[in-house]
Amino acid sequence: MSKGANLLWAVVAALFIVFMLSPIVLLVMFSFTSRTLTNFPIDGLSFRWWQEMVVTRQFWPSFANSLIIGFCVAVVSGVVGTLAAMGLAAMPKRHASVIMALLTLPVMLPPLVLGVALLSFYVSVDLKLGLPTVILSHVLFAQPFVILVVHARMVNFDPRVVESARDLGATPLQAFLTVTLPIIRPVVIGAALIAMALSIDDFIITFFTIGTGNTLPTLVWGMIRTGLTPTVNAIGTLILLLTIGSTVVALWLTRYRG
Amino acid sequence: MIAQTQMQTSGEPALLKLRGVSRRYGDVTAVQPLDLDIFPRDFVAILGPSGCGKTTLLRIIGGFVAPTTGTIEIDGRDVTGIGPEKRPTNTVFQGYGLFPHMSVRQNIGYGLRLQKRPRSEIDDRVAEALRLSRLSELADRSVTALSGGQQQRVALARALILRPKVLLLDEPLAALDLKLRHAMQDELRRLHQEFGGTFVFVTHDQGEALSLANRIAVMNAGRIEQEGGAETIYAAPATRFVATFIGDANLLDGERRDGEVRLAAGPAFADAGPAGAVSVVVRPKSVSILGEGEHAEVELAGTVAEVVYLGDHIKCTVGAAGGQSVVVHLDAATASRPAVGDKVRLGWQLSKQRIVSA
Repeated sequence: MSKGANLLWAVVAALFIVFMLSPIVLLVMFSFTSRTLTNFPIDGLSFRWWQEMVVTRQFWPSFANSLIIGFCVAVVSGVVGTLAAMGLAAMPKRHASVIMALLTLPVMLPPLVLGVALLSFYVSVDLKLGLPTVILSHVLFAQPFVILVVHARMVNFDPRVVESARDLGATPLQAFLTVTLPIIRPVVIGAALIAMALSIDDFIITFFTIGTGNTLPTLVWGMIRTGLTPTVNAIGTLILLLTIGSTVVALWLTRYRG
Repeated sequence: MIAQTQMQTSGEPALLKLRGVSRRYGDVTAVQPLDLDIFPRDFVAILGPSGCGKTTLLRIIGGFVAPTTGTIEIDGRDVTGIGPEKRPTNTVFQGYGLFPHMSVRQNIGYGLRLQKRPRSEIDDRVAEALRLSRLSELADRSVTALSGGQQQRVALARALILRPKVLLLDEPLAALDLKLRHAMQDELRRLHQEFGGTFVFVTHDQGEALSLANRIAVMNAGRIEQEGGAETIYAAPATRFVATFIGDANLLDGERRDGEVRLAAGPAFADAGPAGAVSVVVRPKSVSILGEGEHAEVELAGTVAEVVYLGDHIKCTVGAAGGQSVVVHLDAATASRPAVGDKVRLGWQLSKQRIVSA
């Protein structure tokens, strides 16, 4: 390839990366602006919008809801997903892949369709909308990720390690608690953190299934209906920190390398 | 060595009794219904080619596979329906199954911790086990940092510390290189003598079986073809399969009629038994090339087809009548080495041959 063509491709790639990343960079930048509008030029840096954020009436309940939902989704999908993954790993490969495809279906569906479907379901079975329904709904689409990650670990798990434990006197439960769980713990925690990240940044499904309350994403949506203030950017940056933070920890724990 | 470890087993009741034990997987029968008695302090090899059901049999004894039919009794107690954690057996698995999240010390102490032994007793017994298996220096290392031979010693110590009535070993030496394998064989022999327990191991290596075990059960296609003392198995194989699987053997086709066996290669000799096709088994080193005027109880003529120098002996293949070929092992120091194409007379004593059904 000629030098000119190489350069051209490099420019295209650079432009593409800038286009991909600049909204995120701008979001963070504008949260620190000293002006009242989210536009250029940025005269100076300040924390006024972050201060504004913490005194917004809805902020703390929404923040708490996001954390409660995220935590519960992490725990529920972590526990149930791990059990499912272990069961699937013990099944014949052909059966396991069919079941896994079925379980992954909610992830493939458009979130809007899933949200409407869940709402109609909860209404038809007369379930009161609130945090529990949001948690249930999030588990539905976050759990497949847990199952996939833990299953990948379980199929490489040396069954002789568990057999050794049984052989040395452990009941099935003791073998699980003293051998299997300690070995797969980092992967399980990592997978649960991924589930938490997915839960915290979800808007569409939360919007349909929460009823009257708010999480951070639905709060942001409500706020931009009345105007785009830099407070929204501050909340956006906070969500970004939460999800990227838990994902980074998750990737580190699961030793995920691409 | 074999003579040394050969234990007197008569008179004592069997420690491990299998009766009518079989295992089917769908349409595949891994283990045909079989009986097996193992006596206290025996070192038993279950020997057979891969896929013969030997590992399944070991797993049935250990409690990891439920037999489709039959019962297992250990020390007078029926353990057929009992899980591995309640059986007086411990296993050294192929690949060892060490706990990667524990140190050497923690691996070895695992069984005792489950038994909720007092702290001081656990410490003492683990220290003793570490010393006996020469692992004291490595006690606080992670098992993943150990070499194959060291991992094997950890697996052995972890199993033996629980003083099992029967120690089961699944291809214990398969993962080690040749030099280490010999060292480990000595180690196993030493442990068996010091520990005074009953060892049962599975192997596909006849040399390993002969050098370690005092009793051998030869398995083929889910059946035990022959079970007996190591020397008996070698000297008096009961079937064609056993003869060819253990050591080198010549198998000569023949037919028995009216109390006489006639070989396709020529010679005939008296042998009582039912009429029909038979095979005569004779070890290459029992056959000699006869010189002028020399005679043997069984003689046949042939032409040398191949001569291969193998260091300590010369392997000489002789083509005989009826398309039969006979392998002869000659001492490498022998004065006259035959050449390809030489006409020779081969001979052996009747006591050196075994007649098995074809």
